[in-house]
Amino acid sequence: MPHRHSIFCILPPHMLDQVVQSGTSAQRDMAARTLAASRQIRDRRGNITASVMKGAITTTGTAQRTVYDAKFGTNLPGSIARKEGDAPVADVAVNEAYDGSGATHDLYAVAFGRNSIDNHGMNLNSTVHYDKGYDNAFWDGQQMVYGDGDEDLPASERLFNRFTISLDVIGHELTHGVTQYEANLVYKNQQGALNEAISDIFGSLVKQYQRDQTADAADWIIGEGLFTANINGAGIRSMKAPGTAYNDPVLGKDPQPAHMKDYLTTSQDNGGVHINSGIINHAFYVSAIEIGGYAWAKAGQIWYKTLTEKLNSNSNFQNVADLTFQTAGEIFGVGSLEQIGVKKGWTEVGIAVVDSGSGIPPVPIPGGDGCLKGLLRSVGLAK
Amino acid sequence: MMRIIFERSGGFMGRKVSLDLDLATLPPDQADALKLLVAESDFLNLTELPTNTPAPDGFAYSITVKTSTIQHTIQASDANFPQGLRPLLNDLLARARSQ
Ligand SMILES: [Zn+2]
Repeated sequence: MPHRHSIFCILPPHMLDQVVQSGTSAQRDMAARTLAASRQIRDRRGNITASVMKGAITTTGTAQRTVYDAKFGTNLPGSIARKEGDAPVADVAVNEAYDGSGATHDLYAVAFGRNSIDNHGMNLNSTVHYDKGYDNAFWDGQQMVYGDGDEDLPASERLFNRFTISLDVIGHELTHGVTQYEANLVYKNQQGALNEAISDIFGSLVKQYQRDQTADAADWIIGEGLFTANINGAGIRSMKAPGTAYNDPVLGKDPQPAHMKDYLTTSQDNGGVHINSGIINHAFYVSAIEIGGYAWAKAGQIWYKTLTEKLNSNSNFQNVADLTFQTAGEIFGVGSLEQIGVKKGWTEVGIAVVDSGSGIPPVPIPGGDGCLKGLLRSVGLAK
Repeated sequence: MMRIIFERSGGFMGRKVSLDLDLATLPPDQADALKLLVAESDFLNLTELPTNTPAPDGFAYSITVKTSTIQHTIQASDANFPQGLRPLLNDLLARARSQ
């Protein structure tokens, strides 16, 4: 993709409008991606954003959501509680599952041009109120499932709130679906920890996107709000500082490592997939901070391309390090700040990137007309 | 004698919850209630479940019942957990969670 680098730049509103109004669907899609990538330098509430978002939605499909209620039983999916287009209902968990899967769909559509979990408009199905005292959420291969935490215990004994309370948990579960349709990483050992980290990464990006936060403004906490006030902790995991999310007499201390030297070899939890994911999470965090701006725009772009085009079911930590580095070179140029940022992330967690030497040669950052022309060329509206 | 060893692992948090119960140490009515749950589920005669692909963030459960003559373990996930074992699971979970 020869002109890919030039889409990450500022464009005047009328040009994007032109692409959105007169372009083909592929061109509109590209314009939408451009907008997402350059989001950090424009006002997302402005007219430009609104008109391009319209373009993005027509090319990547609107969300088709259904939220079911298991009524504290374990039969899936349960009975329909809210369908796409229905007004909010009285049940807060139903609305959270509905809104959260919509927010996740939007990030994938606008930032990455993806049409739902399978990229073919798959319905987003969620079940809430699964089982009694079910302090968990999972992806069952076809849908998202959420428990209500410790709703069956007296308030003074509860550790967990309902799992829909945290937007990044919803993004995390839905991303397990995306991973299943893309790299389909084995859910075990390093492959499984990478699978977990990808869900945390994109789950966190959903939250950051919804809050309009740049990398340095985000809290990088996974599962904020899941703990009741009885627990001493900010959330389940910290991508910024793995191992520090909670420290509590009942739950113990957050066991996540932030470096390969602390990689945990265990037979529990499919080889510690929720523990060793801290290493990858932290590498992403460091890269996003190094690169700066909105994390979904550049670091997210690099990871999305790596997930959808390069990883396979057996990819391990070293593979993803090498491949994200390579991908950063392809999108932003060899030796670009973005590629250096990716490498820095891996170095901090103790993984030395092996440079395959591929990618595009470094180019000066285009400005003014050069930048404009780059975009128009890339969508076929200029020579 | 009867001993029940229970473990729940995995989940979004990856936190293990476990229990090792010697029924002789429980109040007699509780011990009897548990023995009844084991008998009603026909636990000792249940065949092992085929291992299935783990659902991301799903729980994995392991229940072992030991008597003076026999020891039997059933491992299951949220997706394939036997309905007939749920009453026993719920009792064990309530105990493990309140520890
Ligand atoms: Zn997960």
